[in-house]
Amino acid sequence: MTTSHENEKETMDTTVKPHSLADVAQAKSVKAPGTRALGTGLETRGVHAWFGKHHALSNISLDFAAGTVTALIGPSGCGKSTFIRTINRMHEFIPTAAMAGEVLLDGKDVYAPGTDVTKIRLQIGMVFQKPNPFPSMTIGENVLSGLKLAQIKVDNKDDLLEESLERAGLWSEVKDRLGAHGGSLSGGQQQRLCIARALAVRPQVLLMDEPCSALDPGSTLRIEETIRHLSDTMTIIIVTHNMQQAARVSDYTAFFLSDGGPGQMIEVAPTSEIFSRPQDQRTENYVTGRFG
Amino acid sequence: MALIRSVFQDELDSISQSLVDLTAMVSESMSKATTALLSCDLKLAEEVIAADLKIDDYQHDIDSRIIDIIARQQPVASDLRALVTALRMGSDLERMGDLAHHVAKIARMRYPDAAVPTELVETITAMGKAAIKITDKTGVVISTRNTEMALEVERDDDEIDGLHRQLIGVLIEPTWTHGIETAIDITLLIRYYERYADHAVSISRRVYFLVTGKFAS
Repeated sequence: MTTSHENEKETMDTTVKPHSLADVAQAKSVKAPGTRALGTGLETRGVHAWFGKHHALSNISLDFAAGTVTALIGPSGCGKSTFIRTINRMHEFIPTAAMAGEVLLDGKDVYAPGTDVTKIRLQIGMVFQKPNPFPSMTIGENVLSGLKLAQIKVDNKDDLLEESLERAGLWSEVKDRLGAHGGSLSGGQQQRLCIARALAVRPQVLLMDEPCSALDPGSTLRIEETIRHLSDTMTIIIVTHNMQQAARVSDYTAFFLSDGGPGQMIEVAPTSEIFSRPQDQRTENYVTGRFG
Repeated sequence: MALIRSVFQDELDSISQSLVDLTAMVSESMSKATTALLSCDLKLAEEVIAADLKIDDYQHDIDSRIIDIIARQQPVASDLRALVTALRMGSDLERMGDLAHHVAKIARMRYPDAAVPTELVETITAMGKAAIKITDKTGVVISTRNTEMALEVERDDDEIDGLHRQLIGVLIEPTWTHGIETAIDITLLIRYYERYADHAVSISRRVYFLVTGKFAS
């Protein structure tokens, strides 16, 4: 736990009882998330977040089964991005930011004392809204930059470079110009380069914060296809304002909402349920575009 | 937060209203077809036969508008259910119009004779009335989305099924004296009424699904 607001933590709102994905799976008698043969996945337990005295996020408990894609949807300001930034400890970069609760990766709390934050971010990669390749580095250097920063040695960098770019769906487009600068690529290619960079350190989890919001429809569809392929081998959490994108790429969807107070998770369910028969009227109103 | 998408909501409401209007057209057709049948009114039978084209055109127009809305608005959840069920309800109503048209065609085929023997007029009249009652109630179900009433329509159908069975019983009696041709006419006619009511039940079940997201058992 990282907090400079002990008083607020004590008075945190625990009246909302969120549904966990495990609850949903149990209720529907489907294979419980986390039971796939790809590892144990990621869990959050009672996560709260603050910016100074502003309580931004309240009591979020979710299981992210390994090998699944979970979309987080909700209006601006409902805490989706804040939530995923608590998962890989990016939230604490912001001055006055605080959080409470647990984020468990393979059953271990990433906020446990003595945890190496760099290692956590190697295991939980992140892709941002705007592509951000290192401008002075070549395409190849960009992909391998995470290894350099984390001082990880690999036997065959060329193989890793090809594998990462291949998994990001970019290899065939750049294999003959790996020495070109990252900035010479199109916006969509730059975003896939950032995905390749995140993949090179072999994370278990990939967080994506509106990864297609700055891209054209063609690039968006390529990234979505990349997400579907990557989900065979890792856990993906994507924040998106594009409802059709959530419907296309995710296995589960969680709806967040702030009703003036801190953001809460209103409903989580298999994506097909959220977009056909949501249980909560607020979810229905949001996915049908009746407010936003 | 303010509610938005008022244009989309207007489009959905307009589809719903068109289905109600189509139901009224179908109800009127069946009412006129029954009158034409029982009173040997050729002019009225021709009117019903001509009206079937209008019903078909009206249903095609509803289909086109729904496809257009789906393409432009990407509906989900209850909106998607409303549009998909509207497509299927339109198809049911069009079929009901066809069945009224078939009744009118039998009336025209037998003119100037009566297709229905005198002793069966009362039962066929009852079937016609029950068919109109069930159609009108279906219109209210579409308009109000009242799930209780939707389930009532299913029960109302039992009355028509009962009359259908009763007439089948008369047809297979050895005392039947009106010949094979009339027996075939009556068999077809009562089948038309019975199927007509079944489509009304189908529409009511679709409204139940639209509202609840669950299929009526």
